[in-house]
Amino acid sequence: MVGRQRSSVLAAAYVVLVLLFLYLPVAVTVMFSFADSPRLSMPIEGLTLDWYRRAFSNPLMGVAVRNSVILAAVSAIAAGALGAGFAFGVIRMKSRRLRGVLLGASLLPAVIPLLVIGISLAVAFSAIGWLQGLRNAAFGHVLVCLPFVVLTMNARLETFDFSILEAARDLGASPFRAFLDITLPIIRPSILGAALLAAALSLDEFVVTWFNIGSQQTLPVLVWGLVRRGVDPSINAVASLLLFSLICLVGISNLSAWRRRR
Amino acid sequence: MTDLLTAASRGSRAIRPSGGGSGAFRLLTPAALYYAVFFAIPMLCLFVLSFWRAQGFDLIVDFSLDNYWKIAQSPVYHVLLLRTVVIGFITALIVVPLAFALSYVLHFVLARRGQIVLQLVLLSLFSGYLVRIYAWRTILGKQGLLNSTLMWLGVIDSPLEFLIYSNFATVITLTGLLLPLAVLPIYSSMANISRDHLEVARDLGSRRAHLVRTILVPMALPGIRTASAFAFLLAAGDFVTPSLVGGTQGIMIGNVIADQFRGIGSNWPLGGAIAFVTMALVLVVYFAAMRLIRWVTTW
Repeated sequence: MVGRQRSSVLAAAYVVLVLLFLYLPVAVTVMFSFADSPRLSMPIEGLTLDWYRRAFSNPLMGVAVRNSVILAAVSAIAAGALGAGFAFGVIRMKSRRLRGVLLGASLLPAVIPLLVIGISLAVAFSAIGWLQGLRNAAFGHVLVCLPFVVLTMNARLETFDFSILEAARDLGASPFRAFLDITLPIIRPSILGAALLAAALSLDEFVVTWFNIGSQQTLPVLVWGLVRRGVDPSINAVASLLLFSLICLVGISNLSAWRRRR
Repeated sequence: MTDLLTAASRGSRAIRPSGGGSGAFRLLTPAALYYAVFFAIPMLCLFVLSFWRAQGFDLIVDFSLDNYWKIAQSPVYHVLLLRTVVIGFITALIVVPLAFALSYVLHFVLARRGQIVLQLVLLSLFSGYLVRIYAWRTILGKQGLLNSTLMWLGVIDSPLEFLIYSNFATVITLTGLLLPLAVLPIYSSMANISRDHLEVARDLGSRRAHLVRTILVPMALPGIRTASAFAFLLAAGDFVTPSLVGGTQGIMIGNVIADQFRGIGSNWPLGGAIAFVTMALVLVVYFAAMRLIRWVTTW
């Protein structure tokens, strides 16, 4: 028993270390967004909101926020709808093998480096003469979000009982009616959750955006621009705002799944 | 977020309709088309382009192996490719065992409480890609958090130089980025192994190391394989991390590829060729490594 206790202490210590390692960057970003000294080193002497003021006085900030919101909305709606449809189709396939293949194929874009996805899209868009800009980036965002929407939706649909649909059909409901009255109310929270996940992924997407958006701005592109120009503490302020929005989106996304489980 | 897990692990338990599945195809088609148009075709375009030539600002339609020949001949690319593969490999070599150990602890030691920790680990995936890389620069910088804290405490007199703008910094940062992604598949394949299974083996006199090699690793192999692919491919294909924390001596092949597309004197066909050479090289190393794991664990 003593051995087991010691090993669980070790285990807990390991978990704490890993969490510290994963969340140290987040803590540092938020901490220095309020820190007085622009040198980004310890010890921190005082607190200030100057960096937030400076971030918002950046003329690019407004455009960046607007474009990021547009892209996130497009990704949530388009990736949400496409991914939900795909997952719904896959789960109704009878062949287990076919389901595996389709699911695996849909996850492929998640394993290919974003750099390669980004440049291949840039090449394809230029081949059909589409100038770089928000539109091209939006198509890229939807692609990047799709695998994660499919994965989440697939998991949530696993508990879906298709026999109630058949009951509705037997009672004379048209397929459309059955979908509207039965399927949709049941899976709506799941779709909403997956769509919010897509919005979060889109909000944070940098690489594919960078190769396709041309001279336009998004929040991550703005951060990149500031970072390339040198150390500027307002980067931490912009980054903290980005983090805050991400946490909100993922939080609501999880909440929708949690409420469904109750 | 646990949904990401259940999806990756268990087979579907949905109660399937008894009728025909023609409706299924109609639901699948839009997304499948999207994948074809915005994923498969662009990849094909990039591949075709890699056989073209760039002359100034013009692209010349051609079928030449010039770009590939250029890569094969110039030592600069060899050095960069080698560094990329080594850094990617080392990152995977750190990330996958860490993720394996973490999944083990979460599933077998912490059990129920492990679920909450798992949520936290996965949540960090959404804590900002650029943000995290930039934060590591703040942490590891010459006058950064780590150095200034150590000097403040009097542990060191002068800043540790190797912390930033080095391959060390690149590997640390990539590890932070990819660890949660690697936990996802490994945990979900481990979730299928019950605690009783291990207890039985232990009661029968199996020692811990033996247990790991003969039961845990083989049973979690699908997850390990996916996690390794994630870690190795994505680490080798990252260009933001080396450009922010790797320093001038630490650039990777991704930086060269990116420069061919968004730099001065860009050359798209060459960039495409480098991208495909890199992916091919990484895949070869990956499959060799997987062979090795299989051989070690089944032997």
